[in-house]
Amino acid sequence: MNMRFWQKTYILTLILFLVCLNAGILSLTLFTYSKSVRSAEESAGAEQYYVARSFERDLEDMLAASRAQSPSLLMTSYGNYYSERGVFLSFERNGRTVFSSLPEEIEAKSGTIFHKKIGGVRHIVICSDVSGYTMIFAKNVDSLDREFRALTLTYMLTALGVSALLAAVLYFILKSLSLPLERLRETTAKIGEGDLSVSADESGKDEFALLGKSFNSMLGTIKSQMSALEANAEKKQMLVDNMAHELRTPLTVIRGYAEYLERAAVSEEERLVASRYIVSEAERLTKMSEILLDTAYVRENPPEMAEIALDEVLCGTAERLAPKAKEKGVELVCDTENVTVSGNALLLSMLFDNLADNALKACAAGGKVVLRCSSDSASVEDNGKGMNEEELLHITEPFYRTDKSRSRAEGGAGLGLALCKNIAEAHGAKLRFESKIGKGTKVFFDFTT
Amino acid sequence: MANILIAEDERAINDLIKLNLSLVGHKCEQVFDGASALERALSGEHDLVILDVMLPELSGFEIIGQIKTPVIFVTARVSVEDRLRGLKLGADDYIVKPFEILELVERVKAVLRRTKGESEAFEFDGIRVEFDTRRVYKDGAEVILKPKEFELLSAFITNRNLALSREKLIELVWDFDYEGDTRTVDVHVQKLRQKLGISERLKTVYKTGYRLEI
Repeated sequence: MNMRFWQKTYILTLILFLVCLNAGILSLTLFTYSKSVRSAEESAGAEQYYVARSFERDLEDMLAASRAQSPSLLMTSYGNYYSERGVFLSFERNGRTVFSSLPEEIEAKSGTIFHKKIGGVRHIVICSDVSGYTMIFAKNVDSLDREFRALTLTYMLTALGVSALLAAVLYFILKSLSLPLERLRETTAKIGEGDLSVSADESGKDEFALLGKSFNSMLGTIKSQMSALEANAEKKQMLVDNMAHELRTPLTVIRGYAEYLERAAVSEEERLVASRYIVSEAERLTKMSEILLDTAYVRENPPEMAEIALDEVLCGTAERLAPKAKEKGVELVCDTENVTVSGNALLLSMLFDNLADNALKACAAGGKVVLRCSSDSASVEDNGKGMNEEELLHITEPFYRTDKSRSRAEGGAGLGLALCKNIAEAHGAKLRFESKIGKGTKVFFDFTT
Repeated sequence: MANILIAEDERAINDLIKLNLSLVGHKCEQVFDGASALERALSGEHDLVILDVMLPELSGFEIIGQIKTPVIFVTARVSVEDRLRGLKLGADDYIVKPFEILELVERVKAVLRRTKGESEAFEFDGIRVEFDTRRVYKDGAEVILKPKEFELLSAFITNRNLALSREKLIELVWDFDYEGDTRTVDVHVQKLRQKLGISERLKTVYKTGYRLEI
């Protein structure tokens, strides 16, 4: 059966109450009744005693006055007299009935008192020895039964009334008490359908308000985790989308020029141009996959940390990029002091190579790139073309390029800074960018731990 | 044949399109960003614009509404939604990267035929091919070609300077469901060479097929 909690409470409470009420009323009725019976018996006893004593006296008087008169006359006059007062009398001697106003015969031993229906009416029967006779005294106590019935009826009506009242009042009380619970249920049902915009009622100070409060805080946690998950999934989807898009350009070039070589009667020079395009795009694909794998590797495997000299890492980067800087006519300076940090030399080299490479790309001939480090931060500065705020927001996203055609022309895969960000995160560090259009860009690698 | 504007920011792809469309006889102009694409397309000098959707400054979707020249979109986007959007905006066709060169040539030809009408005739080496009347003249005298021979010649002219495989030729001339031998192609090519005396022009390309070099 699908019963609500409040309905169960209601029914159980009601049953308990009805049982108690009726048990109480029943015992009260029985108590009152037995008291009435006792008092009826007492009064019957007293009356019997009086009748017995009167009869004894009258019999003695009669016997003393005249022997001729039969005791049965006296008995008849007693019998008639008391019959009118609801009392049957019967006298026996040696097992023979001498007189009886009883409509039926009653077996009784002397000295007993009991109740018996005589002619369908309840009587208290008292049997005792009186002046050599066994006198059966049966008093009509029909009023006792009538009283009992009236009493029972009154009590039953009262019980019915009180029960109905209680049932109604209890119903409304329990229903209104469980209303907050019902509202909470509706809220959870909505959440179950995926609607996270709802919230539970927190008004009041009772358990329901407390439940509502903790429910809302739970909901808040779920919401923030959901949005984090959604953002993450969105980011991943974007990466995949961008990736699919990025793959198409090199594929188009490779396929197109290969087909061109196959179909067209090309000159030696054209053949060279076409094959160069094919090779460079294939290289770009290779680089893209390498960086993606590196990024995945850095993300999945916590790098082995060691105490390393940061200045050596930076100078290594400067040495590796010196030929490229010279070719572009950019001055590449390594301005460092002795700093030892906990990190992975290989990954940090990768990071600074990328940053310095980007800095070189941003500079025109005559520009300057400076690599610096201090105890809590390292930086790569250039005085190149700089970026605007919109660009700064997106530069660590995979495949984001500030200058698409130039970046591609220089062989960028659009993934370098995404890798740098991962490396920084693996070191518990943060990448911070400062840039002004036309003034240049500074990238800080801040150790936060 | 036609004056075509190529708006594509990837130099490699832009060059690729230009090379191939030039081979089959079109005059090409190259632009590499949205703004210049719009500016050049508005001049009205072109018969067709090959328009990349993702152009710097102005996207292809933004440009198409402002120009009257027929447009073929070239894009890396493959979603049906994007395709429909492009066509709804009035593009005449849609090519998805990476594309086949012959497909590009075919679509350019189809769009030009729809928008400019069938090109009337093509002449080379004293041979005049009239597409509307389906007649061929050599030095003023009519040469009688069978229908399939004429269609084969048309296919070679459309894709001139590009090698066509026997399979491709069957697809272009005999339709896809042709179940005949690829040697049928060889027989027809021989006939064309004989009837028009173009053995020097219509070359056999080793392991590939045939190419009409003009």
